[in-house]
Amino acid sequence: MALDSKFSPIRKGLLEFLVLKIVSGTTVYVPDILKRLADTEFATQEGTLYPLLSKLRREGLVDYQWQESESGPPRKYYRLTPTGRTHLTELDDYWALINKTVSRLGN
Amino acid sequence: MQKVITVSLNGNAYQLDEDAYAQLSAYLEHAARALAANPDHAEIATDLEQAIAEKCARYLNAHKNVVKAAELQQVLHEMGPVEADAAAGGAAAGEIGAASSPAGAGPSTPGAAPNPDGSTGKSGGSTAPGDATSAGDAAGPGGAAAAGGADSSSRSERRLYQISEGAVLSGVCTGIAAYFAIDVTLVRAIFIALFFVTGGIALLGYVTLMFIVPYASTSEEHAAARGMPFNARVLVEGAKQKYAQFRQGQEWRGTGTQWRNEWRRMRAEWSSERRRLRDAWRAHWRYGYRPGGVSAPGTAAPGTAGRYAAHVITSTVIAILGLVFALLSVLWLFVLLSLLTTGAVLGFPLPLGVPLWVTILILVLLYQIVAWPIKSMRRAACYSMGTYHPGWVEASDGIFGLAIAAGLLWYGYHHVPELRDFLDHLTHWWHDATGAGVGARRDLFFGRTRPHDVSLGPLAK
Repeated sequence: MALDSKFSPIRKGLLEFLVLKIVSGTTVYVPDILKRLADTEFATQEGTLYPLLSKLRREGLVDYQWQESESGPPRKYYRLTPTGRTHLTELDDYWALINKTVSRLGN
Repeated sequence: MQKVITVSLNGNAYQLDEDAYAQLSAYLEHAARALAANPDHAEIATDLEQAIAEKCARYLNAHKNVVKAAELQQVLHEMGPVEADAAAGGAAAGEIGAASSPAGAGPSTPGAAPNPDGSTGKSGGSTAPGDATSAGDAAGPGGAAAAGGADSSSRSERRLYQISEGAVLSGVCTGIAAYFAIDVTLVRAIFIALFFVTGGIALLGYVTLMFIVPYASTSEEHAAARGMPFNARVLVEGAKQKYAQFRQGQEWRGTGTQWRNEWRRMRAEWSSERRRLRDAWRAHWRYGYRPGGVSAPGTAAPGTAGRYAAHVITSTVIAILGLVFALLSVLWLFVLLSLLTTGAVLGFPLPLGVPLWVTILILVLLYQIVAWPIKSMRRAACYSMGTYHPGWVEASDGIFGLAIAAGLLWYGYHHVPELRDFLDHLTHWWHDATGAGVGARRDLFFGRTRPHDVSLGPLAK
């Protein structure tokens, strides 16, 4: 789809923002994140998400802890760090700004 | 009928048929390459393995315990291509086959994309890694160039560390030797040669390095000091890659028997080699000595009489070396004492313009240079005896050094008023420093000074 490919870099760039948003709610497990994104335009896959999460963790924005699961090995549950939270607020503000600019330029 | 290969995914065994195995190893290998520059690559690989395992579990039940190629393909398709970090660009994508399939393109919904290759099962070897791994994404404008970059960065990083194992002074030389993968003796020889050629500037360089180069303490740092791959995973990936190449290179892959024979032959070769080495080592440890110092494994054991004679000779050599070492130490001590008391080396006055402390430093260095080969010869002799007790040898050296230092201190304290002043001053200063919590760096310095150097104190003042 032409539209799809036109916005592909933007979607790519926004993915980090969206993952932070999802993680900000509760602690989440990677399949949860994938499920939340699956029905949206931002559907993504493990191959992309794990490296992204590892990058976010290196930057100190997210953090994980191991939790036992009744079916299988322990799972990693991710959550936002305080740094991540401030960063997310900044991103939110910036996103609002961009949105405003986009809608204002239209008319 | 398909052969089944058992693999371990993050610690759990899964059975795959051959084609599924080929796909999975290609995928993981590709992932390892894409993540080569990523510091967390091992962790991400584990996560990916776990995710694959969970997806595979979906296809397994009590009556079906093998994952088929088509199922694994679906799993890998859902996993999507492993992307390198944004910084590394689309290096991951370009390499294997941007052209092969549209499936990986961007964030397409899993399952909704068309299955590009239905013929996997039949065609066997044609399970191109591309269908599972290619990104084919717009992200790959870097193409070939980026792939080249990824290759060079996938070489494990090498850094300069000090390595205290086997160090004579501080570990700078051992670190440099590890860094360039050359013999440490050569590095020491170069350093000593430089010392004489540059008239002491090399020593300054050495001391500088001693303070600025960090010590390798973790196993990761030790690996980096030698520029070796950090963990077994890299080796395993290498082996997998070789295996895949091997498989692809064989025309007769379909027949199987020839391959199996080859494999059997190789395995027999390895195990006989291993047995040979092991026996040689056992003999080495049990019967101890081989004539001529450290022996090559695998040589025939000498006769009893020869062994006995050799044993006697080695013992004598060890005793003589020990005596020489002790004499050398006493001589050195004597020279040092004569220098301190008369200001001359065994009656020879110092050349004009050479300060006393430089002379002492040179003496210490000379002592190390002369003592080192004797020490290592003695150690090698002990080795070949099979009675090597590193702890004991090291301890005796250490105790000897401490005894010299203590003796020197005692002598100095009673006969050199400046040293007494200095030591008293030092204790005061120590209390001040530890009380105020400052001077940590100097504490470290004094903590690390070799015992002989204590005598430098009053003269350097």
